[in-house]
Amino acid sequence: MTLSTPPGGDSGTGRLLWRGAEADIVADEWQGLEAVFKIRRRLEYRLSVLDDAIRLQRTVHEAQMIHAAREAGIPVPGLYYVDPGEATIVMERVAGQRVKDFVGRASPDDLGSLFHRIGADVAGMHAANITHGDLTTANMIRREGRVVYVDFGLSTHSTRVEDRAVDLRLAKETVLGAHSERSDAALKALTEGYESEAGAQCARAVMAQLRSIERRGRYARVV
Amino acid sequence: MKQYVVGIESTAHTFSASVVTSSGDILSNSKNVYSPPEGSGIHPLAAAQSHMKAAGQVLERSFSEAGVDASEVAAVAYSMGPGLGPCLRVGAVAARTLASLLQAPLVPVNHAVGHIELGCLVTRAEDPVVLLVSGGHTMVIAHSGTRWRVLGETLDLTLGQLLDQFGRHAGLSSPCGRNVEKAASESSTYLRLPYSVKGNDVSFSGLLTMAKGMLDSGRKFSDVCYSIQETAFAMVSEVCDRALAFTGKREVLVVGGVAANRRLGQMLEVMASRHSARALLTPTEYSGDCGAQIAWTGSLAYACGASVAVSEAGVRQSWRLDTVDTPWRR
Repeated sequence: MTLSTPPGGDSGTGRLLWRGAEADIVADEWQGLEAVFKIRRRLEYRLSVLDDAIRLQRTVHEAQMIHAAREAGIPVPGLYYVDPGEATIVMERVAGQRVKDFVGRASPDDLGSLFHRIGADVAGMHAANITHGDLTTANMIRREGRVVYVDFGLSTHSTRVEDRAVDLRLAKETVLGAHSERSDAALKALTEGYESEAGAQCARAVMAQLRSIERRGRYARVV
Repeated sequence: MKQYVVGIESTAHTFSASVVTSSGDILSNSKNVYSPPEGSGIHPLAAAQSHMKAAGQVLERSFSEAGVDASEVAAVAYSMGPGLGPCLRVGAVAARTLASLLQAPLVPVNHAVGHIELGCLVTRAEDPVVLLVSGGHTMVIAHSGTRWRVLGETLDLTLGQLLDQFGRHAGLSSPCGRNVEKAASESSTYLRLPYSVKGNDVSFSGLLTMAKGMLDSGRKFSDVCYSIQETAFAMVSEVCDRALAFTGKREVLVVGGVAANRRLGQMLEVMASRHSARALLTPTEYSGDCGAQIAWTGSLAYACGASVAVSEAGVRQSWRLDTVDTPWRR
């Protein structure tokens, strides 16, 4: 069933919060609750047959993964409604600040504890066989001393050490790429946080794989 | 007073020399391109031999076209890496010889940084998200702090390799991009191929395997070319899309050999318009490997005091661009 207007809400009157690469995030009410609508708009640069298939698949998949993460005790937005036909997910609105916006102004202590927390949460997801797939600091929201993880659009169910290492690598890449001036302390805390939750043995395996992936990078210093 | 810098490029199939001024006028950009036999790729030694034969002539031409005498050159820049060892060594030998002869300082340049800086010069890009797509690279890059940083890249093949390896499988000779583009423009039949974006990274190996299989099972060459382009270009466009959203930058610059593909340029223009950003497409003459990328970047680096002793001027086959400081971007 496809509903252009989900019951109890009207996505047409909402306020655009964020235009991401693949979706618009619109703030609106849903059944009296503060909600966000994640709407995967058509991407005109992609062939429509390819685009439709990707948007439908990612919408359904993302809703399933958010649910799985919640069951595993990871802070994620509550799911209200899913409309596959419109490639739309309606979920709880998380009031807080993006980690991306916080990093530049945080004290070294705050930064350390924040990334320690993130490392531990990521290890928690991995323990539940969930890899997030897009662990940039724009997809993490600080709320009441915790971090809420959003955008599970690229997440997967996986038990592979490789996938976990890829997950951490993206987190590392965005810290290096976007927050280069404060990256050393953040990366150290991230690693320690991961270890604290995953256990030394498991963390060692993932970190070793991470180094192996980095050596695979084109023109890494191998020759 | 005008200051001239000569740049020598020889990382892969192209041997090229160029003279630029310190204010960014490109006075010459001569090249000689090695082309391998049909159905095969670049043989590094054969390419190096071709470069050795061409080197003297290409250098002479670059000076005569520029109307500059070699003795007027302030510095000699060369691509130190990354690239194919035998090819790089030819350029390094030529550069060391010229620098010794002219008693001019020698400036090593990272080939990938060269692509980006030349793209910025000719398109007047100020602070772009860069898509570097060639036979050697597929990366999405932005400047942050003191370096160009990699935001996303291929986990296996480059976009150029995808097009070349598929083209060669069909019996074409490398580089195949132009022929694949031409065939693709004759089709509008889309065959579903694996679309693999992992975070900000892409993977083309599954796509290549399936595309080869389609061709072997009798699908039309033009349909497969069309489907490869639509899938692979949408993947890199999506990563650029994400990079624009994440960085908030207002320009996307395309550099590298595959920047010559018009369908890719068109997709990126549509993508950029979603962000009210501009897509800056480097003209074909300057998007592929050429001496100007080395001369211009060498000129920028030389102005900041970069140089290397002749005895230290070797080559680096593996040299990631995100390890290179860019003091000229302050």
